[in-house]
Amino acid sequence: MKLNEAAVFKWVVIVGIAAAAVIAVTLLTRPLVGSLLGLVLVIAGCIYGYRWIEQRWRELGAKKSGS
Amino acid sequence: MESATVAVGHDHADHHHGPPEANQSSRIDRQTLGILLFIVSEVMLFGAFFASYFFLRVVVDPPSWPPHPYELPVAVAGMNTAILVSSSFTIHYALESIRRGNRTGLKLGLVATWLLGATFLFIQINEYVHLGFSARDLSFGSIFYSLTGLHGAHVFVGLMLLSFATIRAFRGHFGPEEKDHLGVEVPGIYWHFVDIMWLVVFVTVYVL
Repeated sequence: MKLNEAAVFKWVVIVGIAAAAVIAVTLLTRPLVGSLLGLVLVIAGCIYGYRWIEQRWRELGAKKSGS
Repeated sequence: MESATVAVGHDHADHHHGPPEANQSSRIDRQTLGILLFIVSEVMLFGAFFASYFFLRVVVDPPSWPPHPYELPVAVAGMNTAILVSSSFTIHYALESIRRGNRTGLKLGLVATWLLGATFLFIQINEYVHLGFSARDLSFGSIFYSLTGLHGAHVFVGLMLLSFATIRAFRGHFGPEEKDHLGVEVPGIYWHFVDIMWLVVFVTVYVL
């Protein structure tokens, strides 16, 4: 997979789903609970995003050296 | 040996005119790398504004947020969020179309994205007019207008980029090859970034 618009679009969908979850939890409970869920999702997103970037970068490097 | 090097140097000088070729990453084209680095710097800029927002809200800790008697039009902003999120789908459709060689789909997707972005900006300006408070009213007013205004400025820049891409699309500039539609790809990546940032701004400012 390349680092292009299609890859970034997937992040729009991921962040959209995460935002919808935070909004739902906030409306069903209290803003504090929604904030905590948002914080957990941001931390999880940062870890996942770091691994994603690292993997893509490695793939791009391997593809270049293989060609 | 020395004469051979000089000879090669002369030969090279005879064939190459102008400055030497700029070095570039072997893993990613320079346009995509440029927009990604730009986005990283933009994330830091938004991060500074979010830091101010959370400082005012958590550390200063006013009795209520938004401070009484101010209210934020959550429903209107929610509708605006739906408009902006849908514009990410239309720009993605435009790019998928040109990857398959469908120029009509590219034009349709770009025009739809531009219209959705302009609608978002129009609704936001209309919201500012009817809010009932200004950037001078308390720190809440300042940070509200700073965060949403910063984002609005980014939408405006995105619309300018989309305008150029749309004009070029109607003049038949883009093709299915990856290198032939970078002029849509780069604004597309920027537009997705603007969309993601709005989701964060909306949830933080209007919902939480």
